[in-house]
Amino acid sequence: MIKATQLRKEFPLSRQQRKELNTTDTIATAVADISFDCQPGQIFSLLGPNGAGKTTTLRMLATLIKPTSGQIEINGIDAIQHPQEARKHIGFLTGSTGLYARLTPIEIIDYYADLYQVQSKQREERKKYLFDLLNMHDFLHKRIGKLSTGMKQKVSICRTMIHDPSVVIFDEPTSGLDVITAENIIKLIRDCKDQGKTVIFSSHIMSEVDLLCDELAIVHRGQLKFLDSMITFRERMKANNLTEEFIRIVQAPITTP
Amino acid sequence: MIFRIFRKELLDTLRDRRTLMTMLVIPILVFPITLNVFVEISKSYEESASKETMKIGIVGDKNQYYTEQLQQIPEAVGPKKIMVFQDSAALRKALNQDQIQLGLLVPTQAAIQRKNQTPVNLSWLLDASEVGRSERSEIYSSYFKAKAESQRLQELGLSPDQIKPLSIQTINCASEKKMVGQIAGGFLPYIFIAFGFIGCMYPAIDLFTGEKERGTIETLLTVPVSRWKILMGKMLVVVCSGMVAATCALLGLFVSIEFLDLADNKELLEVIHSILTPYFILSMFALLLPLVIFFAGLMIPIAIYAKSFKEAQSIITPLNILVVLPAMVGFFPGIALDFQTVFIPVVNVVLATKALIAGTLSWAYFLAVFALMCTLALLAISLSYRQFGKESNILN
Repeated sequence: MIKATQLRKEFPLSRQQRKELNTTDTIATAVADISFDCQPGQIFSLLGPNGAGKTTTLRMLATLIKPTSGQIEINGIDAIQHPQEARKHIGFLTGSTGLYARLTPIEIIDYYADLYQVQSKQREERKKYLFDLLNMHDFLHKRIGKLSTGMKQKVSICRTMIHDPSVVIFDEPTSGLDVITAENIIKLIRDCKDQGKTVIFSSHIMSEVDLLCDELAIVHRGQLKFLDSMITFRERMKANNLTEEFIRIVQAPITTP
Repeated sequence: MIFRIFRKELLDTLRDRRTLMTMLVIPILVFPITLNVFVEISKSYEESASKETMKIGIVGDKNQYYTEQLQQIPEAVGPKKIMVFQDSAALRKALNQDQIQLGLLVPTQAAIQRKNQTPVNLSWLLDASEVGRSERSEIYSSYFKAKAESQRLQELGLSPDQIKPLSIQTINCASEKKMVGQIAGGFLPYIFIAFGFIGCMYPAIDLFTGEKERGTIETLLTVPVSRWKILMGKMLVVVCSGMVAATCALLGLFVSIEFLDLADNKELLEVIHSILTPYFILSMFALLLPLVIFFAGLMIPIAIYAKSFKEAQSIITPLNILVVLPAMVGFFPGIALDFQTVFIPVVNVVLATKALIAGTLSWAYFLAVFALMCTLALLAISLSYRQFGKESNILN
């Protein structure tokens, strides 16, 4: 499970950035004290427009960057104090993830299996399972540079799942993908849920969220605008459809307690 | 885990044609090709110049004294054709129009001067920018001089030894090894510094900036491996590439000298063989290794900071000049390793290698250079680590 408490991330602004943003502030707050829990066997969705702070939040959860303040627990491990220990439980996939163009899929998978210290017996089982599931056998020994976008995405999925992580983080995983490739990702997210994994994914597409998620958090300008189940979101809906409701929530003035 | 990262990065690097070119192909081939081309071109120029029929114009040789002497010079020196001109203006005009290649001005009182046993001043007119003309005029002059001197000695009834009251010799006490060290010693460190730097350049950019540009850094940094291990694995590849490039360049130079007959001087070859001992090679690599680590440590922070391959290249290329220029200090005579130069990075390695070739490097200086370069290498590694740890640097 994932437990984020009072998570905050500030970035220093350079003179150039201050000029571009037309501000005198020396720091920018990307995420402002947000808290949420993601439970195993559930899909938690982080929804928000571009620049809302979704990627920053997920990067903090994946231990890529350190929060300015707040706490993160991954399966009970303090991810800020013990990031390496926490990483063993995490699989991280983004829509913009690249692969090593000069290596073959099998070389990449073996490399990541080594980095995650997957034991040889478990590795062979995982490889077989994932290669069969994603139908990868035909291009395992071809260089990544010669593969199609769909094939590359399958390799990325395989690399993310090779160590059988119990927490899976997807950052806009379908962004820029065609319908068939995006469908593979959606299937993977559902599979993860069925296997009892903790799944968190970010998106700015309401229909995708509606299709998948159990718990929903709407973020805007680094702040939580909504946090509850998808069922509650539908029940409390004041607009005509989900997308309009999302826009309504995002555009609502910030209420301070 | 460092070795696993190293293995992967090495495999990735070896599949990059650009890196292979700068790491292996160019260093190995640059010296055999350039030296061979240089030697062949200069040989062919010399040959064609010696075969060229030299048209020689003469002015003022009234009784054809010098014309006859010129005709007596053997054809082996090079074919010639003699043409007589009325005045020096006509001769100069013909020379400018390349109708003649050499002009000889004989003073009008030459015969009287010879009779009075006073010096005769002959003048050669030539276009010195053309290959072989100065050389040919010097050969003809030496014939004239030899003939005039022996004639004058005969007239005076003297033997050549009688006009040599004193003979002074200079005996060079330096060993051949030291002489080679002094003359050619600056060249060797220049090669390995230049190629060590170039060898590091592309892998450093590819493994750090390239990883950011391709979007692979995010996933790499979410694996349960500490950042310093990832950095070390990558840095090892950069250092290896620099070492391989420097070694290949030296190997290429050695092959050129040994197998392409570019150095036909047997004594020089013997000296080179006597220098290339396991002790020399080990000592040289002991100096080279911390230097290449230092180079890698300078380039990696830049590569980490840069947002694109182009940006990294535009910053590192001027750095190349900054590093390679001090390496040229070895070409200047008189600059040696001392208490001051031992503390100047790059310069100290160049001068230490030069002294190593000459066999004059003391253990104290060797250890001082080695220790200083190791310290700088460690500082460069720590700088790289600091940059690699910065969130703003690793994520675009």
